[in-house]
Amino acid sequence: MNNTILHINSVSKSFSHSIKKLNGDVSKEEYCVLDKIDLQVQKGKITAIIGSNGAGKTTLFNIVSGLLNTDKGELFYTPNGKKYNLRKISPYKLARIGIGRMFQDNHIFPKLTVMENMLIADTDPYGENAFTSFFYHRKKRKIEKERKLRAEQIFEMLFGKANPFCEKQEDYAETLSYGQQRLLGLARLFMGNYKLVLLDEPTAGVNPVLVKKIAEIIRKMVDKRQMTILLIEHNMPFVESLADLCVFINTGKIETAGSVVEVLDNPHVRENYLGKRTTKRNSTDAQA
Amino acid sequence: MNYVFHILIMINIYIILSVSTNLLVGMANLLSLGQAAFYGIGAYVTAYALIGLGLPLLPTLLLAMGVTAIFSFLLAYISLKLEGDYFILATLGFQIIIFTILYNWIDVTRGPYGIPGIPSPKLFGLVKIEGITGYIILSTILSAITIFVFYKIINSPFGRALKGMRDDEIAMISLGKNITVLKVEAFVLSSAFVAIAGFIYASYISYIDPTSFNLDEAIFILTAILIGGTGNIKGPVIGAVFVVLLPEILRFVGMPDNLAANMRMIIYGLTLIILMRYRPQGIAGEYKFSK
Repeated sequence: MNNTILHINSVSKSFSHSIKKLNGDVSKEEYCVLDKIDLQVQKGKITAIIGSNGAGKTTLFNIVSGLLNTDKGELFYTPNGKKYNLRKISPYKLARIGIGRMFQDNHIFPKLTVMENMLIADTDPYGENAFTSFFYHRKKRKIEKERKLRAEQIFEMLFGKANPFCEKQEDYAETLSYGQQRLLGLARLFMGNYKLVLLDEPTAGVNPVLVKKIAEIIRKMVDKRQMTILLIEHNMPFVESLADLCVFINTGKIETAGSVVEVLDNPHVRENYLGKRTTKRNSTDAQA
Repeated sequence: MNYVFHILIMINIYIILSVSTNLLVGMANLLSLGQAAFYGIGAYVTAYALIGLGLPLLPTLLLAMGVTAIFSFLLAYISLKLEGDYFILATLGFQIIIFTILYNWIDVTRGPYGIPGIPSPKLFGLVKIEGITGYIILSTILSAITIFVFYKIINSPFGRALKGMRDDEIAMISLGKNITVLKVEAFVLSSAFVAIAGFIYASYISYIDPTSFNLDEAIFILTAILIGGTGNIKGPVIGAVFVVLLPEILRFVGMPDNLAANMRMIIYGLTLIILMRYRPQGIAGEYKFSK
């Protein structure tokens, strides 16, 4: 209990859809996306969730981040002694209690500058109020300065002194390449005081150099900021190089969980997701 | 000279309307068809404050803004839970309700007869704002204040949050932003400033009737900001100047009045079609509706 930050207890979720038959009759059909998911996420660890497309991984993330309700089950978040029932908390409050998320598609703000994308990511909403916005406010100016300084320090920590983000900080974020937008999305997570971060396929669509960079950043999230990472990923070498624990979800159920090696070597996982291995797995696989 | 001053006063009124509405449409991505209703509420409250209560300028202005803000809060509370097209329809419904009340509640609003003889307000109860020179000064000051306030808002953390909400609501929620509160604040602030335009109009023209605040007027306000552009200050200002000056230009090319009125609408329509096709952000706007 003490070492667990997120408790997912028997969470189920179904969607229904209408089917129109050839004779014109319409019937409703329910399909189960998550079926009694039990998962205890360990504090300070990187837990990878793997599984085929449509297995229910992103639905699970949407439930944890409050964008979807569960049909059954409970979710508790215990960052530092306190216990939060996630089903009873508004989605926007989750970031304020330390749950961050990076989406599968970038979800950066294209018409905000690179720097504004960082400033807006501060989960403390101080100054974002209509009725103080047109008055001179010393505290507001001070906090804005601090936010900017913090953003510059984050860029420097993650990307070095001469980095493209500091050079392009006044450019619209839409002018960044897809990979750079991905990095900006990750950098943005350092602006909040997150304890648990959900990363949905952070390496999707980026080149191998950036994959390495993303792995470095995630490692810094854990080592420098003591964040716990819950990661959805299809890039297995990336998972092997980074994750401490691994969970395999198939058709809405957790079928295997354990260390990465255990899960990836599991014949059931190989058969249903990874495909049969023709050679014995060794350390060089991770660099493939 | 009076003619030029009259045009300048009307430009100031439409600058206030379009810059305020831009906060909703261009910053918060809330397309409202109810702005003319708030403009009307501001004008009618002004008429009652000046005729019935005999209030001086500043209390009248604050009362008009306050009452409009209360109405807008109520509408925001009900309609902001709706999304996209449903929100637009809710504001359209509000516009129709307010117009119907203004038109039919004759005991209070005098309905189609309108309210004549609205007196000029007095500044601090002493200096009467009189004549066209008085109103050019008053309207210019109020329009400059509006531009200043909205410039500060757009460049503040609140403006940044509105732009973020416009770009991506889900991302905003995931960053801990309460987008319902942001929307309500934008709605109330925008409507309260629209009431300033109602205040100037009622006291300057000294006669109001419901036809000045109908759906056509709401669409006209939207046309101004769509032509000028949204998401910044200069776009709505340019749009306001354009829509007020266009009929005057047509007058000077010697077009008969009955034809000029129709031609004006055709030119507005054509301008919108051409801009939406080739420059969706408007003449000087920052935000494109066609994403």
